[in-house]
Amino acid sequence: MRRLINGRTYTLNVAQIMAVDPILLEIYRHRFIGVAEEMGVTLQRTGYSPNIKERLDYSCAVFDTEGNMVAQAAHIPVHLGAMPASCEVALRTFTRWEPGDVVILNDPFDGGNHLPDITMLSPVFTGDEPIFFVASRAHHADVGGMSPGSLPLSTELFQEGIIIPPTKLYEAGKLNEGVLRMILANVRTPVERRGDLAAQRAAHAVGERRLQGLVEQHGELEVCAYARHLQAYSERLVRSAIQTWPDGVFVFEDVLELPDDQDAIIRVSVQIAGSNIVFDFEGTDATLQAPLNTVLAVTASACYYVVLCLVEGDVPANAGCFAPVHVKAPQDTLVNASRPAAVAGGNVETSQRITDAVLGALAQALPGRVPAAGQGTMNNVTIGGKHTDGTSYAYYETLGGGMGAAPDADGLNGVHVHMSNTLNTPVEALEMQFPFRIREYALIHGSGGSGQYDGGEGLVREYEFLEPATVTMLSARRRNAPWGLYGGDPGRKGQNTLIDATGKKTELPGLFTRRLKAGDRLRIETPGGGGHSSARNSRST
Amino acid sequence: MRANGQCIGIDVGGTFTDFVVLDATGLTVHKVPTTPSDQSQAILQGLAVLSVDPDAPVMHGTTTATNALLQRRGARTALITTYGFADVLAIGRQNRPQLYEFSQAKRNHLVPRQLRLQVDERIDNKGNIHGKLDRSSLSEMLEVLKQEEVESVAIVLLFSFLNDVHERGIAATLAEEIPDVPVSLSVDLLPEYREYERTATTVINAYVRPLVMRYLTRLRRVLSGRSLKVMQSSGGTLDAQQASKQASRLVLSGPAGGVVGAFALAQQTLSTSSPHIISFDMGGTSTDVALCPGRIPQTTEGTICGLPLRLPSTEIHTVGAGGGSLAYVDSGGVLRVGPQSAGAVPGPVCYGQGGQTPTVTDANLVLGRLIPSQFLGGDSARPLDVQAAISAIAQLGQPLELSPEETALGIVRVANATMERALRRVSVECGYDPRSYILVPFGGAGPLHACAIAESLGMKKILIPLHPGVLSALGLLMADITSDASQGLLSTAEELLHNPERLGNSINQLKPIVLSRLDSDAGEVQLDCSLDLRYSGQSYELTVPMGLPVVPENIRVSIEAFHSAHQMRYGYSAPELPVESVAVRLRATVTREKVIPRPATPTASPFDITQASRAPVYFTADGPMSVPVVKRDILVEGCTFRGPALIVQYDSTVLMPPGWDAEVDQWQNLHLKCGTDHGS
Repeated sequence: MRRLINGRTYTLNVAQIMAVDPILLEIYRHRFIGVAEEMGVTLQRTGYSPNIKERLDYSCAVFDTEGNMVAQAAHIPVHLGAMPASCEVALRTFTRWEPGDVVILNDPFDGGNHLPDITMLSPVFTGDEPIFFVASRAHHADVGGMSPGSLPLSTELFQEGIIIPPTKLYEAGKLNEGVLRMILANVRTPVERRGDLAAQRAAHAVGERRLQGLVEQHGELEVCAYARHLQAYSERLVRSAIQTWPDGVFVFEDVLELPDDQDAIIRVSVQIAGSNIVFDFEGTDATLQAPLNTVLAVTASACYYVVLCLVEGDVPANAGCFAPVHVKAPQDTLVNASRPAAVAGGNVETSQRITDAVLGALAQALPGRVPAAGQGTMNNVTIGGKHTDGTSYAYYETLGGGMGAAPDADGLNGVHVHMSNTLNTPVEALEMQFPFRIREYALIHGSGGSGQYDGGEGLVREYEFLEPATVTMLSARRRNAPWGLYGGDPGRKGQNTLIDATGKKTELPGLFTRRLKAGDRLRIETPGGGGHSSARNSRST
Repeated sequence: MRANGQCIGIDVGGTFTDFVVLDATGLTVHKVPTTPSDQSQAILQGLAVLSVDPDAPVMHGTTTATNALLQRRGARTALITTYGFADVLAIGRQNRPQLYEFSQAKRNHLVPRQLRLQVDERIDNKGNIHGKLDRSSLSEMLEVLKQEEVESVAIVLLFSFLNDVHERGIAATLAEEIPDVPVSLSVDLLPEYREYERTATTVINAYVRPLVMRYLTRLRRVLSGRSLKVMQSSGGTLDAQQASKQASRLVLSGPAGGVVGAFALAQQTLSTSSPHIISFDMGGTSTDVALCPGRIPQTTEGTICGLPLRLPSTEIHTVGAGGGSLAYVDSGGVLRVGPQSAGAVPGPVCYGQGGQTPTVTDANLVLGRLIPSQFLGGDSARPLDVQAAISAIAQLGQPLELSPEETALGIVRVANATMERALRRVSVECGYDPRSYILVPFGGAGPLHACAIAESLGMKKILIPLHPGVLSALGLLMADITSDASQGLLSTAEELLHNPERLGNSINQLKPIVLSRLDSDAGEVQLDCSLDLRYSGQSYELTVPMGLPVVPENIRVSIEAFHSAHQMRYGYSAPELPVESVAVRLRATVTREKVIPRPATPTASPFDITQASRAPVYFTADGPMSVPVVKRDILVEGCTFRGPALIVQYDSTVLMPPGWDAEVDQWQNLHLKCGTDHGS
């Protein structure tokens, strides 16, 4: 594929010019991953919000000039397929690049995934032409919209926050102040946002310097050639793995819980043929009037994630990994939504259920490899309110739960599963920062589905509010338990409970927004993971 | 050093226990095989061989605490927490260790579920008692502790760093009821916020404490009356009795001695108090690197076995690449090296102990970079099998269509790439330019790879110690005696400036603590204070020095230092943003004299490299180069020569490629310089 950059067609097919050396290839693997990781370290260290610094809710990546991902420092699997989509859109939108340019975007229907994930992208120059692009995506704790934390119970995109189409935030190093002011005017915590955006730019500066250093030392031809060789290498690894999987078509359906006690169906048929694998979501329910739709890039991320897990050995995550993986879904289904569908929770919740559905299908093809369902939710909690001094705060946290049992191991207790791996905020840190108190944060003993291997345990966290606050929760597996496999029991369902000052308990649904009073308590119990195989052995506790 | 001068450094490693005796006549070096079941046995053997004064003090580096953790052989430990938070340690940070693995081993949290006990109490975020300690719940808990035959207890309550009354209250009860069980309090060890890190650190202490206590008691008996100091993770030593109580301070001490040794050596030979070096300790299974920007770098962000250990430690980055790292070709047709290692058994193919997979050591042998007759002094009981190494490497290279030499060069390059990344992490990623640093390689394999690594980072100078194999033991003798304490201090910088008394009070509270942990006769004590600062809202801190006394000017200097440290490390600073403090740290130091006497000059004839014997060494796959092989002990002060050369000694080999010049100093250290036509 050739691409127009700065008015010229970029035709240098460097990979063909320079033959691959198996030793240099390994060395370049270290080099490119090193660049992405160094960017990640910078973003974490310079980030402002706890969400970035403490929870590591971000990714950094290097792309070649054709928009193919060369390396990613991935903390968050859901960004796997969605980062390349951003790069592609940015390259389509802008054909002229100058050193110091920074593109910003979050529009889910134009390169983003959901509004809180803000992506930035910068070209890397060593001469007149960009030779690479570096990108970062960070989950910002608030981007405006109808509820603090910007994960609302929305019915259309416009309620979810500020929509940023691909825009140059910096042009040739010069800040486009109007754009920044516009963004900051639309969010609840502008100081924090400004700090986090600056951190993303700092990460880009590091990536840029490192890539320029590599080119200075080894020459553009070699560096660009190995950026492509590395993708071919990953593709070889993934293809040779898929080749060993049994050919066939495997179908599975799982359900997504909706606000009105209804369930939506996600249906996938997985076709393995030779070294290719096709995920077809034909038969999935139509776009929802709820914030649980996803764009196709997020659906693809879930499929990529599962394939990467099933390929043994550490395959460098780049565009090559995904070449043998084909994802399709009819337009206007909940896994391939169109503007202006609500998508706030698609990224964090629906992506988990897509993963479950894909695993359920592949369990039939690879019974000895695929685990039972994990908690299947991120238990998103957003809380907004005012400090005693009148300033606003927005708090976002996700809670771990049980991991599904594998065919050869118990599931882990109280961890994030599949599409997320963010860290928690220390209890002592958040009590010092926000007007609430944590009454309990513990594992729920026995909540993992039992089996020959047990599912992991869910956990409980109980918030007590010292001031009135608005709470929004996007959580799932409250009505449908995470399934076990091959006779393993399902995990315990999750539960959200409101306890008022008198001790009266009210069960809350999986998805809700609610104004809580001082003295109210919110008790969140997260699901356990499913067990694997029927329990023949008596197990110690 | 004592008046009569003699002191003994004893460093326990995985294979050997190293002895270095330092006195007015110079250094005596000795090695004894380590006795893993009881490290004091090898010490006894070594001391019996060496002629040392009966009262010469011993500085000791031990892996007892580290191994107890790595092998999960620590004490049966109970953890007492605030009600509702028994699983803080088990939950950790809620993340899974591997991102892309469906099947993952459960983490061992050191405390089994039935020994995670809770008490009804709550301190709030201001240090007020929100829920009173329910003493009735204690008696039940005591029953469990007795019944379960608990050997050690950790107490970690929420916000105890703001108010320790409940932690101390429980400890007092335990001291009465089960006086023989050691109790570790989070407020004594790490009175700082973040409950998971504090809990892990306290539990680690409780877990290793009984074992370390027993070992040090045994060792003191073996040493019959000698003074005994033990290396801490921080790179300072501590009296053995104190070390028994704060056993977690020893956990990351293993690689610290080497950094201290490298730093002291550089101080002396470069005659500067603040040399800029990168230490590079390459062993069999791993490589430790540390960047010293004029001081020994410190961190409080250590980890062991996946658990955070938030006590001062030498900032060292470790990667799983060493002489024993295994080379293989993966299914994508790429040559990979490590992190799996051949270990001591079976070891590299050339050891002939059953190893089948070629290692970095085998590659070096095939390239002629190790001389079989010189390896480990040419141990005739363990001759190196060159043929076996060649055929293993030939087999590896076959599918890649590479000759044995090309494959061997590839193995070395790939291993070097891993180590280059480690050096980048401590230098470039932290804002330091490696080109202005001197590389100090040691350990068995460090000097063999040093020049290539230096070239890849544009470093021009290398300093190779006279005894690269025992630098860690030498470091024990060079280490200062130190004692550390810290306290959470959550305050805005503004407040600190307006009201310095609060900081002053904290320091006054820490002072008796650090002083009491030094022995009374240690010598003149220096107190150093530092502050953990961050921009308001950040959650990572940087530690900056804080001058005493506590007056606004000194606080202001610290804040300035924070801005520049932030600029250095993260590439930006924001003087307009509010700064806040998180913790205050105090270190008491008794400085030890760091003099390495000049070795007695051997009566060597003038060195002439053209007279040296030669051996074929591969630098490229085209063919070997005939390279002089020089014995290290004939290299005395004033020798200069030009690479290529191979310098051999008992436990290490130096490889000098073409383009490097060597010079020997008065302590017989080797200084290598990269010619102007070379490097990057």
